Amino acid sequence: MTDENKVTLTIDGKTITAPKGTMVVDAAKSVGIEIPVFCYHEKLGPFGCCRMCLVEVEKMPKLTTACTLQVAPDMVVKTDTPKVEKAQQGVLEFTLLNHPLDCPVCDKGGECPLQDNTFKFGPGDTRMDFKRANNDKATPLSPVITIDRERCIACQRCTRYSDIIEQESALVMLNRGFNNEVGTFNNEPYDTKYSGNVIDICPVGALTNTQFRFKARTWDLSNSETLCAHCGCNCNMTLGSRTNNLMRIEARPNDLVDDGWICDKARFGYGFIESDNRLIEATNLIGSEKKTVKTLDAAALAVESLKKIIDEHGPESVGFIGSAFGTNEELYLYHKLFRLKLGTNNLDHKTYLDTPGLPVDHYDFLNIETANLILLIGSDPAEELPILDLRIKKAVTRKGVKLAILNDQKTELDKFADLSLRYDVGADGTALAVLANGLAGELGISSIDDDAINPSATGINEEKMKSMVELVRSGMKICVVYNPAQLTGNAIYMLKHLLTVISNIPTIECGAIPAAPHTNAVGAMDMGILPNFYPGGIPVSDKEKIEQIWGEAALPKAKGLSAMEMIDKAESGELKAMVIYRNNPIIDFPDGKRVEAALKKLSLLVVHDMMETETSLLADITLPSNGPGYDEGTTTNIGGRVQYRRRGLNTKSPPDWKIISRMINSLSEEPIEYLSSFSVTEELSKIVPGYSEINKKSIKKEGKTRETIAAINGSVPPLEKVDFSRQGLRLRVTNQLFSKDKILDASSPLAHHFLPSIVYLNEIDASKLSLSGGDKVVLVANEAEVEAIVDISNRCNPGAVIVPKVSDEQGLLKLAQRESVSWVEVKKC
Amino acid sequence: MFIFTQEDEKKIDKIVKKYPFKQSALLPLLTLVQRRDGYVSPEAMRAIGGKLELSPGYVQSVMSFYTMYHSEPTGKYIILFCHNISCQLNGADDLFAHTGEKLGVKGGGTTEDKKFTLHKEECLAACCGAPMMRINDTFYENLTKEKIDKILDSLP
Amino acid sequence: MTQILFKNIDMEGLNSIDVYESQGGYKSLEKAFAKKPDEIIEMVKASGLRGRGGAGFPAGLKWSFLAKDVFPRYLACNADESEPGTCKDRELLEKNPHLLIEGIIITCYACRIETGYIYLRGEFQHASDLMDRAIEEAYAKGYLGKNIMGSGSNLDLYTHLGAGAYICGEESALLNSLEGMRGEPRLKPPFPAVEGLYGKPTVINNVETLCVVPWIINEGPEKHAALGTEKSKGTKLVSVSGHVKKPGNYEVVMGTPIREIIYDMAGGIRNDNQLKAYIPGGSSTPMLPASKVDVLYDYESIQAAGSMLGSGALIVMDHTVNVVEATLRLTYFYMHESCGKCTPCREGTRWMWQLLNQLQNGTGTNEHVDKLLDISDNMSFKCFCPLGDAAVAPIVSGIQHFRSDYDELIKKLTTDTVAG
Repeated sequence: MTDENKVTLTIDGKTITAPKGTMVVDAAKSVGIEIPVFCYHEKLGPFGCCRMCLVEVEKMPKLTTACTLQVAPDMVVKTDTPKVEKAQQGVLEFTLLNHPLDCPVCDKGGECPLQDNTFKFGPGDTRMDFKRANNDKATPLSPVITIDRERCIACQRCTRYSDIIEQESALVMLNRGFNNEVGTFNNEPYDTKYSGNVIDICPVGALTNTQFRFKARTWDLSNSETLCAHCGCNCNMTLGSRTNNLMRIEARPNDLVDDGWICDKARFGYGFIESDNRLIEATNLIGSEKKTVKTLDAAALAVESLKKIIDEHGPESVGFIGSAFGTNEELYLYHKLFRLKLGTNNLDHKTYLDTPGLPVDHYDFLNIETANLILLIGSDPAEELPILDLRIKKAVTRKGVKLAILNDQKTELDKFADLSLRYDVGADGTALAVLANGLAGELGISSIDDDAINPSATGINEEKMKSMVELVRSGMKICVVYNPAQLTGNAIYMLKHLLTVISNIPTIECGAIPAAPHTNAVGAMDMGILPNFYPGGIPVSDKEKIEQIWGEAALPKAKGLSAMEMIDKAESGELKAMVIYRNNPIIDFPDGKRVEAALKKLSLLVVHDMMETETSLLADITLPSNGPGYDEGTTTNIGGRVQYRRRGLNTKSPPDWKIISRMINSLSEEPIEYLSSFSVTEELSKIVPGYSEINKKSIKKEGKTRETIAAINGSVPPLEKVDFSRQGLRLRVTNQLFSKDKILDASSPLAHHFLPSIVYLNEIDASKLSLSGGDKVVLVANEAEVEAIVDISNRCNPGAVIVPKVSDEQGLLKLAQRESVSWVEVKKC
Repeated sequence: MFIFTQEDEKKIDKIVKKYPFKQSALLPLLTLVQRRDGYVSPEAMRAIGGKLELSPGYVQSVMSFYTMYHSEPTGKYIILFCHNISCQLNGADDLFAHTGEKLGVKGGGTTEDKKFTLHKEECLAACCGAPMMRINDTFYENLTKEKIDKILDSLP
Repeated sequence: MTQILFKNIDMEGLNSIDVYESQGGYKSLEKAFAKKPDEIIEMVKASGLRGRGGAGFPAGLKWSFLAKDVFPRYLACNADESEPGTCKDRELLEKNPHLLIEGIIITCYACRIETGYIYLRGEFQHASDLMDRAIEEAYAKGYLGKNIMGSGSNLDLYTHLGAGAYICGEESALLNSLEGMRGEPRLKPPFPAVEGLYGKPTVINNVETLCVVPWIINEGPEKHAALGTEKSKGTKLVSVSGHVKKPGNYEVVMGTPIREIIYDMAGGIRNDNQLKAYIPGGSSTPMLPASKVDVLYDYESIQAAGSMLGSGALIVMDHTVNVVEATLRLTYFYMHESCGKCTPCREGTRWMWQLLNQLQNGTGTNEHVDKLLDISDNMSFKCFCPLGDAAVAPIVSGIQHFRSDYDELIKKLTTDTVAG
């Protein structure tokens, strides 16, 4: 190959061709030559401090470290000469000099690079006669990481990780020389959101998983290659189990998704799998008693009851509230059940407004790094999609990508942004419109003409907005990352309009990532769990296309009820029955008191969930969902990538796809028996637009992106009006990664991250209300009250408060209203 | 509670202006605090980090690398007694022992009255005047037992 | 004898600009600005000036490595003098700061640098204060700042103090320290001339090196090249210390016999004792026995004798010295100053110190000596930076030339054991 970007060299007599810029250690690996390393890690770059990878290079006077040496044309490298062997033995002797002989009691045993390198390259014996230096052993570095400083070989992988990847410098090297020690500021816990990754990268047993300590030997583990189910990143991980008990979670590098890292919620937040709160059996409410029923029987009973109600009141009297926590297969089957079998369009899975499809390419994680500009709208990745946070930080700090932020709250990423603007809470639609108009003006496209769009009513001053317009206009390759769940009212249309405008600028290539926090938010939309769209973003009104794909069967054509409309109709008595799947509306929908009252009015409430929740307590029939760890299926992440989530543990309880297909089969003349979740995947791939290439083989290694769902072109509806002059303060609910809920409960090792209920006030509002930091207050709305402690931090513009959702007990959403923006009163206790 | 005085702020402004990247002001700011308070406390590290947009952990990492920063309070006079080769060849070991005895801190340490902190130190670039010691900013060379006594007794 | 650096060094008030100028100070600037920057680099190349900090790399050549067309550029003057035995830079800094400033101005002009930092070790607070005052005086006279003497070139010069770390004398560690980091050395390549301070092309030179530059401009490179030997041109400041009657900094022409330096300039051995050993260039250079006292003081001669000229610190030891004890002291130094980044140095210096301790205590054996040699071999040229190599120098050379000192202590063990 005479490719300019390839270099040919010789290692141990073997001729290799490698891309320019490859390190010799990686080039050697590619042809099966192992050069031992400790401090080198491909994600952290060359460092050269352990000296383990010394090799002989012709024409170089000294031995050189292979991890810091780039391949050069005609380079001749030798890794097996006596000189190199002596050096390797010498380095290992030094490394082991004061390293305690802990192998019999060290968790790292069996997967320890120090053990492996010593066996392969080390001296057979030690000449160290002196007493080995002592240091702290088995000390908590945090509630989830244990540090044994005696074992540390000062490779600085963990400190470099904290500096380069996390951008926190929370774990640092202290002191100098032999007194070098890994530690934290003032011995405070090493408590970042992604701290656990140091356990994976530590090449010895110095940093270990406290939860896993002494639980099992690594070679006894059964390892399942699976995905995390906590958020929309769908990071790849390995679930290690022994005798069907979950032992530990490790990262499983996928450069196209997580880049080799997982957050601490993925690594340590699996306690729910063994929670006492799990729904294990199906129940049927008879009188006031919940009687245990065989699960599949309960499923059949549920459908029977639904059919009865439909026969009496029509298909519009039943509804389905699904969830973005379901897999594609589960949601596909529920869609089949309700739309095709029961004949209703009353399907939904969320309470915020969003539409399927994008007017631009659906970008994936790698596009973040190859763009020139990331435009981050309404999103707080650190709390919502942690690995997205790391990838943005990587793009900005190491790939020269610019970051522009539009948000109503301050976030950690502000300090990485070239420009970060704060719109008023509730003014997101207007801000997006003003930005779109600013760009359109330059293009000569007509702007949106609407009274609601007042450039001086966004909270962003016009000069700054001009800078934003300029920054975007000169973007070249723009990746827009937005959180649809945090846009108010119908602002989502304005966002999609903005995308259209950006993509019309001739010099710009634009794509978007819909960064809703939930695991399978993209999949839920793709699978059509929406009242007005079929799978693949086809509107219910598109008769032709629907019949083309789904056949001539009598299919409902009128728009169905959204989730909140279903609650309304339940309240009024028009909706008689609901199936709620992996959702907890009483806590997670606005105005929970009203929701509860409405649900109680239903003739039939079926709840299919993993945990006992406030909603499931009201159910007539409950069906147990296996949930992550036990379930199998595919999910589609925020980048549109479909991946397979394999189970890690076995259970006798039937998988959800079996339960739901049982329900479908009860209504079918030709029942289909699926053999595995892949059978469902196969079926859905044939019919769901965009999923035609998705099958077991194609998603095997790194997953596969489904085709971009195109948005339907339409005019932009006028923005819902917000009366900013109303009394009270606007409420902005924010997400917390570690919130105390059904997934992370009080027994979780991450419990130390839980926060009390805090209300963040702007100093202007605080002074108007005569409030100071630390005051106890009560937030009032909807005849509900939520207690909180005041923090004055100007996290948002005046006129609003920011309240993170810290726990289910907080009951925060009780205060939220159905209108696009919620208002609360803040009263001193 | 650690605070920077107005005087300090003025100095800090001047310091930061010397560099195109304010991280370079880290050692100068640590030195400012060390000289002002005799040591650098965790609160001080936090404050310095806040000024320069560096994490407190980073500040502590850098601070703990260099020997001139102390994490515990030191005496009014810090005596660095060279014990490296040229001084050792000229009897520094005996003189150090003598100094330690005189001050009541054998082997080094801080005196009870917090007046002196005595340490062995590496080469201070005064080899031609060996044996020597440095007390705060002043070098005292060509030491003898008598000279040492005189110097220490004369310090207010 | 030609005095380049120490001419007038003891003149009272030399560190204030009026006295300095009255002695011809800053006169070289006019001459320098009349030439093109590249011409000055050629002049310094032709003069044969080699770096005086310890590495001895040709100064002009180093300047010519600056990455072309990359700006801004920086100059870092290495005033971190910490090599045991060396005290020459401190004398220059305290007594003649303007000479350094003058040298820096010319160097920055030649290399098109507009910002310079003088990195002084933390303990040089007094020298730094004097330098600050001198810099202020230079600004006031228009020798620093914008459009210096109408030349169109600008220069801002600042002092910056370290905080106690020998390793910061290593050029890449110095840069890291200057950037506000731990003083750990950097990977090379890239070299500072390409990617140095803040990732920009940087010239790093020792105090003494830069102080020679004005003389070269005033007198011409040929005159400099006429002094000294074939490969070592000009003069060298030698810090003579240890067991001599008149320790001090002496300016010698390159090629002066070491015997002359010790016995004539420094007055000979104290108490008229016998010379046993000397270290020619600071503790990081191998020690040599008295039999080599006739070696000439220049880079090539000392190298041929099995050592290095280094920083120019001549440490003299008489017959009362136990080489093992001296080696133990130096090994402690390297152990204390190791930055800890790389495993061989971090672990090796401590292990060698432990072994030497045992030998010094009389509880060491021949095995200890064998181990010391093997550990030295495992450290030599295997560490991240030259500190590892420096650490083994006293040990290897000590065992090579003074094995009897080691044997004495080992014999003590065997006789004691036999007796006890």
